[in-house]
Amino acid sequence: MEKDYILKLQGITKEFPGVVALNNVSFDIERGTIHGLVGENGAGKSTLIKVLAGIYQPNAGTFLLNNQEQHFASPIEARHAGVSVVHQEIKLAEPLSVAENMFLGNIMMKGKLVDWKGMRERAQAIVDDLAMDIDVNAQVSSLTVAKKQIVEIMHAINNNSKLLIMDEPSAVLTDRELEVMFRIVKQLRAKGITIIYISHRLDEVFELCDNVTVLRDGQHIKTLPAKEVDKHGLITMMVGREMGQEYPKEVGNIGDTILEVKNLVRSGVLKDISFNVHSGEVFGISGLVGAGRTELARAILGIDRIDSGEVFIRGKQVHYHTFADAIRDGLGLIPEDRKLEGLVQIMSVKKNITMVNLSQVIRGGVIRSDLEEKYSEEFSEKLCVSTPSMETEVQYLSGGNQQKVVIAKWLFQNAEILFLDEPTRGIDVGAKAEIYRLINQMVKAGKTVIMISSEMPELLGMCDRIMVMHEGNKMGELNAAEATQEKIMAMCV
Amino acid sequence: MSTQNNKTEIAVKPNFLQRISVFSKDYMSVVGIILLSIVFTVLSKYFFTWDNWKNILLQSSTTAIVALGQAVILLTANFDLSLGRMVCLTSCVGAILMKTYNVTPILAVLIMLVLGILLGSFNGFLTAFVGLPAFIATLGTQYISYGIAKLITNATPIPKLPESIGWLGRGYVGPIPICVIIMICIYIIAQFVTTKTRVGRNLYAVGGSSEAAFFSGINVKKYYFGTFVLAGFLSALGGLILMSRLNSVAVSNGNNYEFDAVIGSIIGGISLTGGKGRVIGTMFGCIFLITLFNGFSQLGVDPFVQDVLKGIVLVIAITLDVLRNKKKA
Repeated sequence: MEKDYILKLQGITKEFPGVVALNNVSFDIERGTIHGLVGENGAGKSTLIKVLAGIYQPNAGTFLLNNQEQHFASPIEARHAGVSVVHQEIKLAEPLSVAENMFLGNIMMKGKLVDWKGMRERAQAIVDDLAMDIDVNAQVSSLTVAKKQIVEIMHAINNNSKLLIMDEPSAVLTDRELEVMFRIVKQLRAKGITIIYISHRLDEVFELCDNVTVLRDGQHIKTLPAKEVDKHGLITMMVGREMGQEYPKEVGNIGDTILEVKNLVRSGVLKDISFNVHSGEVFGISGLVGAGRTELARAILGIDRIDSGEVFIRGKQVHYHTFADAIRDGLGLIPEDRKLEGLVQIMSVKKNITMVNLSQVIRGGVIRSDLEEKYSEEFSEKLCVSTPSMETEVQYLSGGNQQKVVIAKWLFQNAEILFLDEPTRGIDVGAKAEIYRLINQMVKAGKTVIMISSEMPELLGMCDRIMVMHEGNKMGELNAAEATQEKIMAMCV
Repeated sequence: MSTQNNKTEIAVKPNFLQRISVFSKDYMSVVGIILLSIVFTVLSKYFFTWDNWKNILLQSSTTAIVALGQAVILLTANFDLSLGRMVCLTSCVGAILMKTYNVTPILAVLIMLVLGILLGSFNGFLTAFVGLPAFIATLGTQYISYGIAKLITNATPIPKLPESIGWLGRGYVGPIPICVIIMICIYIIAQFVTTKTRVGRNLYAVGGSSEAAFFSGINVKKYYFGTFVLAGFLSALGGLILMSRLNSVAVSNGNNYEFDAVIGSIIGGISLTGGKGRVIGTMFGCIFLITLFNGFSQLGVDPFVQDVLKGIVLVIAITLDVLRNKKKA
């Protein structure tokens, strides 16, 4: 039987100064399917989306939408042709209502006036159709991230989109929200809408997608039905070589209690939290977004005030007033937002690595650039940071390499207790494994790692113990041996 | 080249505009001064004389000293609108103390400098600790300073100041004006501190990303505060040298210095978005600016037209800054 293709890519090439982002990419997408698009960071997924959405124009090649050749000069043209993108960063008019956002760029008119009533009714119909609990009159800024994404999807539906591109929608969603998202995506497929689904989480791809395309280094590697491949096979295609174990857990050099928290309270955020962590341990903190995990780290590290409770480091009670106090005591934090909070993007690799422990390269009040060069080279070698030079600004490195620079910064500081907040978010599989190996190295050297993560398999694979939080409460603690995804989920809610 | 990176690399020459803008970052101001000198030397007989150069440097010194404060504030991605009026207020206060109240010049000078520090602290407090946008906080200080200056002087000039402060603006070491030496010394120190010490490095970190600086344990607010205090002090110093050189004080003193400082800084390679550029470039940027308008005056260009030209220079300078910061797609 002849298959019906909504989109046929023919030799799409896109070059940027110094890099070929897409190299002669050709594949087809069947109408009414969910089509997964996977690849490591830098594989060309984002570039491809931008070409389809009319943001970039390809240097060579073309694509057929409904068997018609298209050359989108702008995103507006793409939208008129029925192509919509739900971007990773939500692009909605926050102060406007849900209904207004669904009609952005396409306002309903009644004569010369805006047809508010008509718009609200139509918006409500779409909300009902998706069986969502969203007030069309609510201001978008009051919604959760998950609901904002759904508003974007509804905007696309309202625009009669035939091809919906979703760029890593799951990165910001909790597991529960993800289920709703999956339901909606499947519902759209049932309506005949074609979906291109991009994700780093391969389990999702298998659960959701009919077909999957693998890109690597700007080249099309393979397009095949999702049924015909397993996770291991997909990873091998993405990375281009055999991968070792996904979670190469090694037990660290576990010693005495190094951090003890007793009845910690921060009003409205943290409620009576107690736990302890041993040196050489990987201690996981699990919970949904908003459970208070990051807030707990901030309170311990002196960034936020503690209302009551005690924190002991190496058996001694501490009262940190600023983060700098905690750093002096050997604590460190790799923040959630690597791009903004972890690194100064416009500074060199060298200067970022020495930022916390500048004293180490200062002699007589003067920064010695030779020492700085030596140490930064030593640490980026130790961590296998792939960078043209120590002078390269970190903004030009890939996500995985950037994260390694952040870790290098804290290893150079010789932090003994390191909080990692979502350390592998948005990082591709190859670099993830390297970061896990670094965690192994750290705990073997007797350092302590406290890992906050929304990816349960990662916590299960890497931690010695896992604490589960929910709405500022500690729900329980599990040993590596007894922990399962189900047990954690049961505690999360 | 790393071997892991098997992405196809193709040689692409950066386009003309990009090359110009990158080159301009470090050298534009110096090259500009040389080019301007050649053009004006051809067009005007008087331009390339020691007297004229001395004049350019004398004028540059006050602008450049005040501009250093702006440069450091720009490095942290803030902005100070009050510099020119702080120059004005501090010099008016100094003049009145000496002339009306017969305060000894040395004490009057000290009071001026302390006043500058206090005004800067006010800006710093509002910006760093209260959290006002620097634009608004310093706009307030601008009006307050100018208003007080007009009140206490009744907006009339105060001529003939004590001779004992004359050496600052009119003294020489050999053929070189003392204020020019002060300017050069201050800039050499500033260049050293910003590139070779912890304070300087942290300043760039705060400007590059206040969040990342905070999560590296840097006290970001302290740095914001400090830059405004420094700018207040330098404005007072600029005001002092200006009144010494002119041997009089008027409320128009220091008018528009804050904008000249921005133009000078940006021509000198400092970025409006913070965290980028070398402070010594600001000195050359200011000299460039003064040379340009000195040349125009020599050629008899209408002063009103010169204002138009200044606006054009500002727009060009900021356009280059924007081009420099545009990320390669």
